[in-house]
Amino acid sequence: MDTSYELISLRTLVGDVLNEAFESHPNIFVIDSDLAGSTTSDKFQEKHPEHFIETGIAEQNAMSIATGIAKEGGIPFYVNFAIFATGTVWTQLRQACYPNANVKILATHPGMDGGFDGATHHANEDIALTRAIPNLQVLVPANPDELRAAVLYAADHEGPVYIRCSRDVVPNLPMAQPYEVGSAVVDADTGSDFAIVYEGTAGDLARKSFAACEERGRHGVLLNVRSVKPLDAELIRSIAGRVECMVTIENHSVIGGLGGAVAEAVCELLSHAPLHRVGVEDVFTESGPSDRVKEKYGLNVENVLAKLGF
Amino acid sequence: MADIKRLEDVCLRNRRRIVDMVHAANVGHIGGSLSVIDVLTAIYETEVDLSASPRARVVLSKGHVTPALYAELTEKGVIDESEYPTFRQIDSRLQGHPYEPDIPEVDATTGLLGQGFSLAVGMALAKRSMGDDHYVYAICGDGEAQEGQIWEALMCAAHYGIDRLVFVVDSNGLSSHGPVNESINLEPLADKLRAFGMHVIEIDGHDMSQIVAALDEAKGVSGKPSAIISHTVKGKGVSFMENNPAWHSKGVSDEQYEIALRDLGVKGGE
Repeated sequence: MDTSYELISLRTLVGDVLNEAFESHPNIFVIDSDLAGSTTSDKFQEKHPEHFIETGIAEQNAMSIATGIAKEGGIPFYVNFAIFATGTVWTQLRQACYPNANVKILATHPGMDGGFDGATHHANEDIALTRAIPNLQVLVPANPDELRAAVLYAADHEGPVYIRCSRDVVPNLPMAQPYEVGSAVVDADTGSDFAIVYEGTAGDLARKSFAACEERGRHGVLLNVRSVKPLDAELIRSIAGRVECMVTIENHSVIGGLGGAVAEAVCELLSHAPLHRVGVEDVFTESGPSDRVKEKYGLNVENVLAKLGF
Repeated sequence: MADIKRLEDVCLRNRRRIVDMVHAANVGHIGGSLSVIDVLTAIYETEVDLSASPRARVVLSKGHVTPALYAELTEKGVIDESEYPTFRQIDSRLQGHPYEPDIPEVDATTGLLGQGFSLAVGMALAKRSMGDDHYVYAICGDGEAQEGQIWEALMCAAHYGIDRLVFVVDSNGLSSHGPVNESINLEPLADKLRAFGMHVIEIDGHDMSQIVAALDEAKGVSGKPSAIISHTVKGKGVSFMENNPAWHSKGVSDEQYEIALRDLGVKGGE
């Protein structure tokens, strides 16, 4: 597998992607809680100030305002760091999802992407917190095309959607196949020795791990889930039935996130490949450059190889 | 000008419906329903045309007083009294807290206290942006004003100068465990709301003339949101429930039901 691709932080595209979406969805509103510069939603603010609502540092108010806007036929995108857009507003988000309100969360700085800020800001539970809520879809784009497609999908879809957008870098590669929520993408399929299943913000590690496996003469499957909910359980089960071992890679806790979702998908099979999970091992993290933090807390090629037993 | 006598008659019917519902289901938040019913009825009867779209909105932020909301929606022909025994029971559309999908005339899914005024701010901001000049009313409890999100929303409403937004506080002085101000003191509430940029109106929330006048006054305010502090009595209209925190949430026995009906001027349960 070629790992010489360029890297890109998806959050740098957030404002531009929202502006693009506004062209076809002029009822989009963007809600911010004092982080428009960090999330780049300020690019939307510049172009559409009348559709940009600043709440100040009042996240719960922001989430409920988004729900009120949806009631009036607007398409609200609440754009904020993942820790605030899930943890701080969890009951407000849940209350929006209960009547299937048409709210959209665009969350940057998921997992350990807020490196230097430390454990307070590392959203290693955001997938767990969102996927446990009925009606809420959880999208995990892996590249610029998928982010764009996810935002357009969310604008078209009637109901709540959570989009997890990397602040750290991901491979700047084109979308492998047309975007479909609930449909995973096979990035590579060279054999049945193993399978790597990853969420978008762990794309670089997933590809490098796949390449390392191949260098060791192992051939397997690399799967980009694209959405954790709905999960492409059918494809995952079929892979689990034919490979020797599986590993999930996520910029998240190993509890309740992608690994948990995949485990739930395969656990009822009569037999399936043993499933290993790479992610944060139920601990709080610490400050540092996000790549170093991830490496220290288990998101590194050696750990993936060790889990697979290679 | 609204017909005060007619509104008072509707309120009396709605009080009787609240008692009927909580008796029939033997569960429900009856005290707060009886305190809020006058202002809630007045808002729906004078400001809301359920057949219009877009229209004025009512966010019942103190969502536990569904008996009051369902009573008024009965008056509006949305709910039938025959449904009352199903209130808070399995397979009923009369959920314990307001839920839009089951009853589309309900404007907001509420129940977790503190969130409703923010919903109203969002609706009002969207309406203003879309050129819809209908008002949005949020009805909160005084105990609910202990929630921090309420004050986030108040700051926001004033900051944006949303004048087609009315924050109604059903100030009955009692929350679940006892007097609101003994758990955490809210006073001076009117001064606080003024300091937060609201146009504040204080009324006797059981005096229909004052309620109607306050709603009219709020509609004359421009450049800032209004707050109506509606001073009420929890359990109003039923002698043994008035000002008794035990009636925050409680079923009504057959014997108590007879007394309640007599208090409300209905003879022999007719």
